[in-house]
Amino acid sequence: MSKTYSLTLTIKRYDPDRSVTWFQTYRLDSGPILRFVDLFRRINVEQDATLAWASSCEHAQCGSCSVNVNGRPLLACELLVENAVTLFGTTEFKIAPVSVAPVVRDLVVDWEKAYERVDRAKPYIIKPKELPPGMTEHRISPQDLARYEEATRCINCFCCADACISGIRTFIGPNAAIASIIRMMDPREEEKNERLNLL
Amino acid sequence: MIFAVTKVAHPQKSHTSTAQGGMAAVDPKDKADKSIYHMFDTWKGGDCSSDQNVVRRIIDGGWEEVQWLERKGIHFSRDEGGSIAKRQFGGHTVEFGKGDVLRAVFVADRTGKGMMDTAWGEALKGGSRFINSTVVTELLFNEGCCVGAVLFKVKEGEFVTVLAKATVLATGGSGQVFRITTNCRNNTGDGLAVILRAGLPVMDPEAVQFHPTGIVGPGILASEALRSEGGILRNREMEPFMERYAPKMKDLAPRDIVARAIETEIREGRGIMHYDHQIEHVWIDLRHLSAYVHEVKLKEVASFFKTYTNLDSRTQLCPVRPSNHYHMGGIPTNEHGEVQDASNRVVPGLFAIGECACASLHGFNRLGTNSLLELLVMGRSTGERVLSYLKEKQVPTPKGAGEATLDLFANYLEAHGSENVGMIRQEMRELMTCNVGVFRTENGMQEAIASLIALKQRITEAAISTKDMRMNQELLERWELDNLLDNAMTIAQGALMRKESRGAHFREDHPERSEEFQYHTLVSMTEFGRVSFGKRPIDMSIYESRGEYCEQFRIMPRKY
Repeated sequence: MSKTYSLTLTIKRYDPDRSVTWFQTYRLDSGPILRFVDLFRRINVEQDATLAWASSCEHAQCGSCSVNVNGRPLLACELLVENAVTLFGTTEFKIAPVSVAPVVRDLVVDWEKAYERVDRAKPYIIKPKELPPGMTEHRISPQDLARYEEATRCINCFCCADACISGIRTFIGPNAAIASIIRMMDPREEEKNERLNLL
Repeated sequence: MIFAVTKVAHPQKSHTSTAQGGMAAVDPKDKADKSIYHMFDTWKGGDCSSDQNVVRRIIDGGWEEVQWLERKGIHFSRDEGGSIAKRQFGGHTVEFGKGDVLRAVFVADRTGKGMMDTAWGEALKGGSRFINSTVVTELLFNEGCCVGAVLFKVKEGEFVTVLAKATVLATGGSGQVFRITTNCRNNTGDGLAVILRAGLPVMDPEAVQFHPTGIVGPGILASEALRSEGGILRNREMEPFMERYAPKMKDLAPRDIVARAIETEIREGRGIMHYDHQIEHVWIDLRHLSAYVHEVKLKEVASFFKTYTNLDSRTQLCPVRPSNHYHMGGIPTNEHGEVQDASNRVVPGLFAIGECACASLHGFNRLGTNSLLELLVMGRSTGERVLSYLKEKQVPTPKGAGEATLDLFANYLEAHGSENVGMIRQEMRELMTCNVGVFRTENGMQEAIASLIALKQRITEAAISTKDMRMNQELLERWELDNLLDNAMTIAQGALMRKESRGAHFREDHPERSEEFQYHTLVSMTEFGRVSFGKRPIDMSIYESRGEYCEQFRIMPRKY
């Protein structure tokens, strides 16, 4: 038989119709390996259908479900109940939307606004290098690729930007900077000067 | 001006971004591989139900798209010489099944993300406009032509009528119809439902692929590698049950056999109930495998089990169950992506591509890595068709555009009663998994159809508390549930009508493929539950061309 946790979720809510913000507390019993997205879905079905929250793939590939849990930005789809209890040493969680974009309703933020920074970083090849004569594809050695390959894993969940205090000033933010740095290092990009200026 | 409408908050958040393995494409520089081999694999894998004109067109166009992606900056994995690396994938062979082949290009374990990032970047660079967090609720027609659509902008809570000379549907899959699925939360079959409401048919809805080992919880895939590396499936009594179903191949038996074996164990009471998720499952036992296999070969799957079940696959049993993965069927189109009606005539101005569409490349069973290929090649050829279509005459706006949408949503908002959208959705998903999933029987599906009609009735008594239209998740989910029910109904009806087993469609009461059903199913639905069937012939043009290898494209048994 699985262990049961008695959880208290205090969720920051926002109603755009009345422009009011408040904290609402939900209590629910949960097994150890439900994820926070599963908890939100259960709240919708069992207690309160009006709670709005964002997700899409629900396995850490799309970065839609970023929320702030007890002060830390996290993906709700990756956060298991028992890991959260261990991480924070409590069964009480205060959940708020991430701060990188305006809130639309409850935990849902306007991702398009957050993405404006990434768009400014031009996440594409500005000026492509010509293919060498007789070649149909560029050659990139695995060693060269390995220098920036980890950075290409970024899914723009903006958790880093949420945690990063420098993101609020002229700094474009860590994930947007990464998008430009990748192309700085990509041998197929000719336009390095503009990229340096962007950064 | 090109407007791209997406249901997700940003294109990068689309379901395509979750595709892992790779994209099949025959490299003309590869001396060992040939397009004709890839065509054969696709035809055979699809259980002789793919359209051969489509198969030829898509496979011939593959490498050109790989080059396009590469030039536009995709971060393909590379071989030692710096060329684009390729990997082997199930069902892909050379010389008509004689040997394995390296045919899939890939971006580590995130090929779909690589493609989506690249395509989005190019669209941004080219100045395409994105309208995100938006769904299509109605198609507009005049003089038999599609002249645009009505959109619901979820974030803003606004309805918008868009007049367009060409409308391309790329609304994705409908995996949320099933309880356990690899599909994202947004895959609720919206495009198919909108097509049905326009009086147009869907094709082969019963052709639904299940992957044998989904991880209990998120439903995501625990790859085939688990079993090829020596993983053993066990039931509640710890019995390695595959020995009973496939005495020779055991755990290495083909996907569909393994999926049916697991479901049989569960059905006969030898499954294990997962208390947290309330899902019955079996175990995959990896404990006996070497540290090297765990740490190198199964690294990714091991990390999935850790993340989503908190289990260490080196020392603990891990829970798996067949997971809905891909819908081969969809909106019928020709090889140019032009949507067809129930009489197989083109509907001018309306196009469909991707998982929501059915051209049909995959027939009744899709080979791994063929769907990303389809997206790219069909995306381009449909785009070209749209460009030439734009030069044709303009059709005037229809009267009453958007009225159907406003009526529908007003009904949702005005409904009274104590029914619950989330509960009904759960019941539907459970029902579809049990009765219209891996196993299908006449009785089971008749039961399912009756239950779906009852659910559709009950849902009219679900009140919506959120009245403000902005980001009204309740309202969106109410509409999605109607779409899911429409999809579920066509799947069940198609599967009931098709009294045979073909590809991924398995009828327990009709376990063999039958000549009588050698055609594509067309299902139209004028009223919920009331369907009419049509047929579309399966194109056999490669076979009929009497070319060099035409004999490989006859109707043959699907045996591996």
